[in-house]
Amino acid sequence: MIDSTETLSELVSEALLGEKFPIAKIISKIETENNLEFRESLFREIQSQKPNAKDGLTIGITGTPGAGKSSLLGELCRLFLDFAPDKKMAIVAIDPSSNVSGGSILGDRTRVTLPRRDTRIYFRSQPSQLELGGLNPYTYHVIRFLRKIFDYVFIETVGIGQNEISVSLVSDISFLVMQPLGGDQVQFMKSGIMEVPEAFIINKCDEESLANSSFYMLQSTLEFIKDILSDQSLPPIFKTSVTKRKGIEELLHYILHYSKRKDKNAETMTQLRQWIRNEYGRFGMRIWEKLESKSWNQAVRLSLSGGIHKMDYETEEKKFVSLIQKQVIHDE
Amino acid sequence: MSAEKKDYLLVDENGQGKPDKPWIFRTYAGHTNAKASNELYRKNLSKGQTGLSIAFDLPTQCGYSSDHEVSRPEIGKVGVPINSLEDFRILFDQIPIEEMNTSMTINGTSMWLLSLYVALAEERGVPLEKLNGTTQNDLIKEYLARGTYIYPPKDSMKIIVDMYEYCLHNIPKWNPSNICSYHLQEAGATPVQELSFALATAIAVLDAIKERNCFTADEFEQCVGRISFFVNAGIRFVEEMCKMRAFSEMWEEITTERYNVKTAKYRVFRYGVQVNSLGLTEEQPENNAWRILIEALGVTLSRKARCRALQLPAWNEALSLPRPWDQQWSLRLQQVLAYETDLLEYPDIFEGSKVIEGKVKALKEEAKLEIQKILDMGGALVAIENGYMKSQLVKSQTERLSKINSNELVIVGKNKWTDGIKSPLMTDSDGGIFKVDPKSAEQTLSVLAEAKGRRNAELAKKSLEDLKQAAKEGKNLMPYSIACAKALVTTGEWADALREVYGEYNPPTGVDGQKLFLSDDKVATVRGKVEAFTKAHGHRPKIVVGKPGLDGHSNGAEMIAVSAKHSGFDVIYSGIRLSPEEIVQSAVEENANVIGLSILSGSHKEIAKQLFDELAHYKAKIPVVIGGIIPESDFEELKKMGIREIFTPKDYDLMSIMNKIIDIISVEPALV
Repeated sequence: MIDSTETLSELVSEALLGEKFPIAKIISKIETENNLEFRESLFREIQSQKPNAKDGLTIGITGTPGAGKSSLLGELCRLFLDFAPDKKMAIVAIDPSSNVSGGSILGDRTRVTLPRRDTRIYFRSQPSQLELGGLNPYTYHVIRFLRKIFDYVFIETVGIGQNEISVSLVSDISFLVMQPLGGDQVQFMKSGIMEVPEAFIINKCDEESLANSSFYMLQSTLEFIKDILSDQSLPPIFKTSVTKRKGIEELLHYILHYSKRKDKNAETMTQLRQWIRNEYGRFGMRIWEKLESKSWNQAVRLSLSGGIHKMDYETEEKKFVSLIQKQVIHDE
Repeated sequence: MSAEKKDYLLVDENGQGKPDKPWIFRTYAGHTNAKASNELYRKNLSKGQTGLSIAFDLPTQCGYSSDHEVSRPEIGKVGVPINSLEDFRILFDQIPIEEMNTSMTINGTSMWLLSLYVALAEERGVPLEKLNGTTQNDLIKEYLARGTYIYPPKDSMKIIVDMYEYCLHNIPKWNPSNICSYHLQEAGATPVQELSFALATAIAVLDAIKERNCFTADEFEQCVGRISFFVNAGIRFVEEMCKMRAFSEMWEEITTERYNVKTAKYRVFRYGVQVNSLGLTEEQPENNAWRILIEALGVTLSRKARCRALQLPAWNEALSLPRPWDQQWSLRLQQVLAYETDLLEYPDIFEGSKVIEGKVKALKEEAKLEIQKILDMGGALVAIENGYMKSQLVKSQTERLSKINSNELVIVGKNKWTDGIKSPLMTDSDGGIFKVDPKSAEQTLSVLAEAKGRRNAELAKKSLEDLKQAAKEGKNLMPYSIACAKALVTTGEWADALREVYGEYNPPTGVDGQKLFLSDDKVATVRGKVEAFTKAHGHRPKIVVGKPGLDGHSNGAEMIAVSAKHSGFDVIYSGIRLSPEEIVQSAVEENANVIGLSILSGSHKEIAKQLFDELAHYKAKIPVVIGGIIPESDFEELKKMGIREIFTPKDYDLMSIMNKIIDIISVEPALV
C-alpha cells in the first residue's frame, strides 16, 4: 500500500533503482480503476527523473493449460541469473478469475524460486478479471511501466484459441508453448493461430523421439502457411524439457540476443482502439475513426525532423475522452 | 472338547481352544533427539509394546541435516532427528534389533534410513536375514497428502525398486515399502478413494518392479508377498471394516489376475493400521478416547481382515504431541482389547452377514471403476503428475468440511453438544500437552558436528561421488548408500547428492477448479465486505497464503486459498516448503493486503519471528494471520510479535475465518 507520507517522486526514484516494494505499490495503483490521472503523473515523473529510461524487450509466453509454461519460466529465471548477470527481468503472470466470486487463485509463482532478497527478477501475478483475450485491462499499462525498469518483461498467459492474439499485440516477440503431440497442431491450424506467434516452443520434450516427431510435424504444418506469415520465413521452433534441463539455454540465448522491436506507435494505437471498443463500443469507435482521420492526430506521429514521433498513450486517451465528453454534451 | 464347538471357536489340530496371536502393538514415537527417543523406546518396550514405530523429524524426512538453515525450527519437533550412523547407534542403544519388528515412517529418504539400519546391523554383527520391519516409502501419498517428497515421481519410484531388489536378496524379511493410504484418509479420502488410490499405487510399484525385470518368476512372487499396506481406520466403523474386507478381496484378485501369483501366502493382504487422527477434536479432547476405541474395533473385530500391527493415537493429539503417559494409555487400550476380551478366540464373526457382504461388494465395484480410470490415465504416477488424485482429495475434504459446517455431519463436542465441563485431564501443571525442550537440538547438533569432525573426510567425499555416479548410470543405489552410511555421510549430504542428479519435485497444488459448498448467507456477508473493499480500494483484496517450513500438510492452506477465492479475493498460493523470506518476497512483489500462514509442525514461533524480520527488511507493514495447531499458551507471544489473528482447528468454519480476515484488512489505510 502507498502510505500518505510517500510521494510519487520518492516511489518512482526507488522503483527506478529496482526496489521491489515501491514497484509493487505503483503496479497496484495502475491496477486501480480510473487511473488515467495517476498514469499521467507516473509517466511524467519517470520521464523527468530518467529521460533515457530503458525500454525493455517484451516477451509473450502463451499456450494451453498444462503445457508447462510456468515451469519453463522458472527454469528460464534460474538460467537468467547465471547467464545475464547485469540484466534484470520482470514477469507478469496472468491467471483466470472465477466467474462466480470474481476471485482468483494465482499459482504461477510456484515454479519460480529466487535467491533471497534478489532484485534482478520481479514476479507479479495478475487475475484476468474475466476479460476475453487473456489479458487484464491493466496489463498493458503495467507492462509499459515495467519496461522502464527491466531489460526484459515476460507476460505469461493461459491461451486457448484466440487468446494468443492479445498477448502477441503487446509483445515484441511472442512464443506459443505446446506439448509434444498434444493435438494442438490441428486445433491451431483451424483457428488460424499459427500465424500469430513469432516463435514456437515444444515443451516437455523429455523423450527424444517423441520430441523430434512433434518437431517435424509442426515444421511441416508451418510450411503450409509460410506464405501468409509476417516475413514469409519459417519461425524458429524450440524443443525444451524442464525435467531434463534441455533446450532452455538455447531459448534464453535467443531471447537475450533478440534485437527486433515492434512498432510501439502501432501498439499504442491498437491498445487504445481496443480500450475504446471495450469502454464505448461502436459509438466510441465512430468517434475514434473521426479523430484518426483528422490531420492533427497524424501530426503527432511525424516529428518535425521527419522521423516517427512516439505516441503518448495517456495524451491520446485524454484527447479522446474530452472528445467523447464534447460529443455527449453535444448529443444532449 | 466336543465336535460342535469347533464351528464357532478357534481350535488347534487336537480340538483344543487356540486363540489367534494378537497383532503387533506399536506406538508411533520419537522426539527431541536420539538419546531421548532411545529412552522412550526402552520404556515403551518394557510396558508390553511389541514393535517399534519410529517417527522422524521433518528435516530427516525431507533430506536435510540438522545444521541446514531450514531445519533449525524443526529439529526434534515431530520425531527424532537422524543425521548419521552415529545417531542410529544412540537410538538403538541396548535395543536388540535382531529381535525387533521396526517400522520406520520415512519416505523420501527411506533408502538412506534403511542403509543406516543395515550399516548398524553389520557393525553389530547381526545377520541381515534377521532384520524384520518396514520402511514406509510410499512416495505417492507424499505427493498427495503429506508433502515429504524430494525427487520427481519417476526417480522416487526407481529408488523404491532398488530397495525391493536389494531387500529380496539381502534382507528377505524386510518390507521395502508399504503402500500407505493412511494419509489419504487424513487428507479427506473417502473409503472408495482410499481403496482405489492405494491399490493403484501398489500396481504402480509392482509394474515398475516388473519392468526392471530383475527377478525370476519365483522371486517376483516373493516381491508381491513383501508388499504391505498401512491404512487408516475411521469412525464409521462398519464401513471401515467393510473397506478392510474389500481391500483383502481386491488384493487377492489383483495379485492373481494381473500378476499371476500362484502361491496363496503371497497374495495375502498384509496391513498395519494407525487409526484416524483427522477426526480427533481439539474441543472436549477426552471424547477422542472413545473415538480411538471404536476406530480400533473396525480393524480388529473381523478376523478375515484383521490388521497385523496397530498403533493408536493419543487422546490429546489434536492439541500437541502426546506425553509418555498419553501413549501408555493408548497402549493399554490395545492390551485390554487383545488380552481381556474374547476377540481372538473366534473365527470370522461376520461371515455370511448380508449387510457386510453387500457393503463390501458396493465398495469393490466403485473402487474398481476408479482404479480403471487411473490405469486408463496411465497409472498412479500420471494421476499424480497431472494433479488428478490431488484435486479429487481436496474435493472430498472440502465436502467433508462443509458438511461439518452445515451440521450435516455430527461431531460431538464440536458442532453438537458443545457445552460441557472442562476435562480434569487438562489441568495438570503441563496443561495436558507435551513440549519439546528448545535446547535439546544442541545435543543433536553436537553429535553431528562431532561425527563430521571424526570421520574420514576423503572416504565420505568419495562415497558421495560414487553414489552420484551410480545414480547417473541408473545403477541400484542401495550398496552405495550403505557405503555412505558407513562413511558417516549425513542425511543432508546423501539427499543433496541425489538432488543434484534427479532435481527436486514441485507438484500441482490441487487448488484448481475446486468449489466449496458453503452456506449462502455467510458467503454473501463476506462477499459483501469484499465488494465494499474493492470499491474503496479500487482493486480486489489480495492474500498470500503461505506454507512455511518443512511441514507438508497443505490441505488447510489449500482450503483457505480456495475459500478466499470463493469469497472474491485474489489469492497467491505457491505450495509447500517455502521459507519465510520467500513468502514475504511474494507478498511484497504482489503488494498483498494480508499474509495468511499455515503451520502444523509446532514451529510457529520461530517462523513468525523470521517472517517479521523479513517484513522489516522491506519496510512492509503487511498484516499477518496464522492458522494451525497452536496451543493457547503461545497466543500471547505471537500477538506480541504482531500476528493479528490466530486460527486453530477449533475454527473449522472457513467463512468465519474469511470474515475475520476481511475485517482486519478493511480497517487498514486505503491506497493513496
